Amino acid sequence: MSKASRRAARERLRQERLKEQQRAKRNRILAVIGAAALVVLLVVGVGYFILTADSGPETEQSELYAGLPPQSVQQDGSVVVAEEGTEAPVVEVYVDYQCPACQQFEEESGAVLQEMAGDGEAIVHYRPVSIFAPRGEPVGSNSLRAGAAARAAADHGKFVEYNDVLFENQPAENEVGYEAGDLKEWGAQVGIEDPAFAERIDRESEIAGRFSDYYQQLTSAAQEEMSEERLRTMTLPELVEWGSEQGIDDSFLEGSYAEEVLDATNEAYARYDGENAFEATPSIYLNDEILGNEAFSAQRLREAVEGAGPGEVTTEPLASGEETEPEKAPSVGESPGTEE
Amino acid sequence: MDTDEQTPSARAASPRAARWDAVQPWVSLLARLGLAAVLGFAAYTKLPPALSVQSVEAYQLFSPGAAEFIGYTLPLFEFALALLLVVGLATRYVGAVTALLMIVFIAGIISAWTRGLAIDCGCFGTGGEVASGETQYGLDIARDIGFLALAGIVMVWPRSPFTLDRLFGLYR
Repeated sequence: MSKASRRAARERLRQERLKEQQRAKRNRILAVIGAAALVVLLVVGVGYFILTADSGPETEQSELYAGLPPQSVQQDGSVVVAEEGTEAPVVEVYVDYQCPACQQFEEESGAVLQEMAGDGEAIVHYRPVSIFAPRGEPVGSNSLRAGAAARAAADHGKFVEYNDVLFENQPAENEVGYEAGDLKEWGAQVGIEDPAFAERIDRESEIAGRFSDYYQQLTSAAQEEMSEERLRTMTLPELVEWGSEQGIDDSFLEGSYAEEVLDATNEAYARYDGENAFEATPSIYLNDEILGNEAFSAQRLREAVEGAGPGEVTTEPLASGEETEPEKAPSVGESPGTEE
Repeated sequence: MDTDEQTPSARAASPRAARWDAVQPWVSLLARLGLAAVLGFAAYTKLPPALSVQSVEAYQLFSPGAAEFIGYTLPLFEFALALLLVVGLATRYVGAVTALLMIVFIAGIISAWTRGLAIDCGCFGTGGEVASGETQYGLDIARDIGFLALAGIVMVWPRSPFTLDRLFGLYR
């Protein structure tokens, strides 16, 4: 064998060894990637299983409704769900029916609240608001119509049930929803037969529609008349008052449930500050302290409530004579229609 | 692609290269662990999943079913990536996937921004609607670019101490 061919053979051998090394390295990389992929699958799979298992109570919805204590309408239009004289932590639930996060909250924790209310473990105070009302059509009026409708359902002792139906049918944020026809139909669905409810819905729907135009007129007038700075720091009631001084008529709101919902919203903004400030919906307060993420987990919400002492309801029940549309004479502190 | 496979001595032609060879594994270690901490924290704050689902929905990019699926799996995926970065398994590729994820996040935020949505990015928990004056898309994007840089370091220089990869003879 010549020197040259020996060198060539050595070179070939070297090349093959190099190739062999590269192949081995590629296999190692593939093995490592495979192991990593397996870890990802395992973590996501097992985690998904655990997360989906952490859901609300197992009780049937109809049983939860049957177990509910009286739903008493308060003077500000909010609804307290508790037996009279119950000593338990107070959970205040501020929701806007157009707010997607509120729907998530309802889906995750709505049932556990009903369960705890039914067992006397919590006094649940539902406080519908409309933070979206100033957003105009369609979001603003959707929100206001639904809030007013829920208040109307409360007159008939069906607030909780109606609240659930509203969230089940929440419209997307850029489309018209919660229309009068639907709102009336859902009333019948939860067992409100009194024609007064349907009349109320028609009236409130018209008012909600007018509010959008009114608010637009109000803000465009305000934008012309005052600095942006001042406009931004003004609360809605201040703006409304300024408007009526300028001759922008807000009397159509008077005595309506839409107005109650707007007032409730402004009161929520004014009521809390600092860490507990009311800034968005849903805001859930346990004995006047705002809850964080735990509100969105049925289990953690229950734990938070179980760890809290008894609280105070700050509102007064609507006395029987003050009902806008009394169905029948209710006893003080109870709304009509709950004995069903 | 192969820079990490060369032995330090083979590359240490200049003093500067030698210094970088000595420092680089520790830079990569910091990037790896920093990124793992960010991902782990992001995953933790997204729970419970109802919140995370809401954050995804706020982008208005997915059907409700898809948003729910992403809402549940995204925090878990982030957690899995964090875990892999801590133990140093398939470091380079996990770095690449993390970088890709950051690019997707940045794209999502830009898309929300250009569509005029007023949302919190939901990067760390509490997503969803915010008042229109309270968005901070610029800051969110800048932050994600920072994380993207960390992921880039891990991807380009996967060689670092304390990795499982070393047991497989990779990135020594």
